[in-house]
Amino acid sequence: MQRLNQDTLVAMVLLVFCGVCFWASFDIRQPDYGVLLPSTWPRVILGVLSLLSFTYLVQSIRRDRTATSTTPETHLTSVWDWLRYWRNPLYCFGLFLAYLLMLPILGMLLAGMTFVFLLQSLLGGWHPRRLLMHTLVAILSVGGMWSVFTFGLDVMLPSGIILPSFY
Amino acid sequence: MIVENVIGAFVELATIQTIILMMIGVAGGLIAGAIPGFTIAMAVVLTLPFTFGMPATQGLATMVSVLVGGLSGGLMAGIMTGIPGTPSSVATTFDGFPMARNGQPGLALGIGVWSSFAGGIISAILLVTLAPQLAKIGLEFNPWDYFMLVMFALTITASLAGKDLIKGLIAGAMGLFVCTIGEDDAAGMARFNFGSDALLQGFDFIAVLIGLFAFSQLLSDVRDPETAGQSLTERGQIYGRIEHRRAIRTVLHHWVTVVRSALIGVFTGILPGAGGSIANILAYDQAKKMSKHPEKFGTGIPEGIIAPESSNNAVEGGALITMMALGIPGDVTTAVMLGALLIHDVIPSPTFITEEPILAYSIFIAFFVATFMMIGLQSFMLRIFVLVTRVRMYVLASVILGFCGIGVFAIHNVDFDLWTLFWFGILGFLMRQFGFPLAPMILGVVLGNIAELNLARSFAITTELTPFVTRPWSLLFLILAIFSTFFPLYQRHRNVRQWTVVYAPAMAASVSLPMFMMGGVARPLIGIALLILSGYLVWHRTWQRPRSDTSDTN
Repeated sequence: MQRLNQDTLVAMVLLVFCGVCFWASFDIRQPDYGVLLPSTWPRVILGVLSLLSFTYLVQSIRRDRTATSTTPETHLTSVWDWLRYWRNPLYCFGLFLAYLLMLPILGMLLAGMTFVFLLQSLLGGWHPRRLLMHTLVAILSVGGMWSVFTFGLDVMLPSGIILPSFY
Repeated sequence: MIVENVIGAFVELATIQTIILMMIGVAGGLIAGAIPGFTIAMAVVLTLPFTFGMPATQGLATMVSVLVGGLSGGLMAGIMTGIPGTPSSVATTFDGFPMARNGQPGLALGIGVWSSFAGGIISAILLVTLAPQLAKIGLEFNPWDYFMLVMFALTITASLAGKDLIKGLIAGAMGLFVCTIGEDDAAGMARFNFGSDALLQGFDFIAVLIGLFAFSQLLSDVRDPETAGQSLTERGQIYGRIEHRRAIRTVLHHWVTVVRSALIGVFTGILPGAGGSIANILAYDQAKKMSKHPEKFGTGIPEGIIAPESSNNAVEGGALITMMALGIPGDVTTAVMLGALLIHDVIPSPTFITEEPILAYSIFIAFFVATFMMIGLQSFMLRIFVLVTRVRMYVLASVILGFCGIGVFAIHNVDFDLWTLFWFGILGFLMRQFGFPLAPMILGVVLGNIAELNLARSFAITTELTPFVTRPWSLLFLILAIFSTFFPLYQRHRNVRQWTVVYAPAMAASVSLPMFMMGGVARPLIGIALLILSGYLVWHRTWQRPRSDTSDTN
């Protein structure tokens, strides 16, 4: 997608966002006291944001269409190319989401180790020697951090249902 | 009084545990600053969860130590590989890397280290002397003045942070909006929670900061599979010995450059939104202009290293002055420090230094002491840096992301903060990809509540809007906000469009007006000086220089 189209799309998304939030501001209850109502400041911000987004939209449309963008993303012609280009960030987000979903079951220690191990392997490869290194790094780094917080700083981290609680 | 506070602060800091934590902080900061892609702000942010269980003085001293270490760490990678470790070491590479390639890496490192030290010491001295004075000025502020100061901080951050002003302002407005989600502070009414109980508590500032900044930065670093799989040693030659004696002689010989660059750093740091990334380039540029041999810059000369390294260490002293005296963070890093103070139930404001003198002076003294520790540890940490350079980027990123999860959860022990981290990580990544600067949004999140609170206070006093323009400080910040909004346009059209000729004179003349309104003797004199400056600029630009053909090209 060319940069110009990206900017127009982003501006439109921002305008829609402002519209939705402005509509939601009417659900804010108004107290019987105070001069500055709870809805006033958000509406001022949304007003300014809408104006800026509209300016951004106009700018993006007026920009010279012949001056095409040279960003690498302009060469992504198919969904597969797009997925390959953004592969690593998608791995990070996908795994972190899985980490959050598994946290109540595995607990912070196991979920964290699994997350760090899998992320390293996805980003760095699955060669056996590397897998060993990834395992060691995951255990030492997450285990070390978990220990510092649990035993050194007395922070209660989720233990999940597999491991016993240390508290 | 100052002496008593300094002694009291030294007593607070002079415990074995605090000294050890500070040394660990400096060491960690040096390594973090040295790794390209791992910024100082990220290092300070990631240190924050460790400080929750510490007393306020100890926690803040540790964070200041990480900050000082990080400021100097950037030069290691910059000089040895040509890749700056942090944005505040960009200009260091212009002459540092050539000097290293010319067979003098030890001297280049030494000059960088001792320039950093000198800049840090000058900054620490100014911090101790200027912060209390600025706090006295801050006591004159009323709610209108504070509100306008926040608006000025946001506009100048937006205008300096990125190439596109509109995107910067949008980011700032988004940051302000994020603060409104949840219960409002004054009346406790739910806002934009869409029926969700989890959203009622709003978004925790630290989780937002780590998500927006650290999470998205790491993802950008590993986006390219090739560079993600590389280690730093594959990008340059690593050398491990600093030549201290020659470096000290060289730095002392160029003491004028050191002092000038440090002052540029301090005053850049005082300005909200302008940080080390601007100061080091400014100082380098000034050193080149003032040099007898400007053509030699870029070939590996000492001044080319001294200027940026003195200024980048001095910046944080300036930023701390504004943060501690006014409660307004000067950059992202001091925004994190502000968050740390809030977590320890300390609210920076003009009365902070007088109400909590020991804590305030502990921060000043920690900055001073950490600068000395940096000198002592730099040689040792260089050897550690050589080991760290063998670690591949994707391993570092994975470990740090794992740490982000534990660290963010430790803030309030609620799962929602981890979801905040995740969602704002996605938002931060998208913002980077679409060219939106993050600094204005981060400042918006930090300052949003302050802005709304002061707006509410001002309306509680009177519903009139005229105090925003009749109160001198409010008018001053309003004028500065307007001119800072047009600053990027001025830079782009300078010497091309006719209106740019009157930009600086108009600004000087406009700023003189609130000076006259303030009364007294000194400030009206400053106003007169500004009017004279304005007149001189008009005369110089219109009568002295021939007018260029400035027809409108549109």
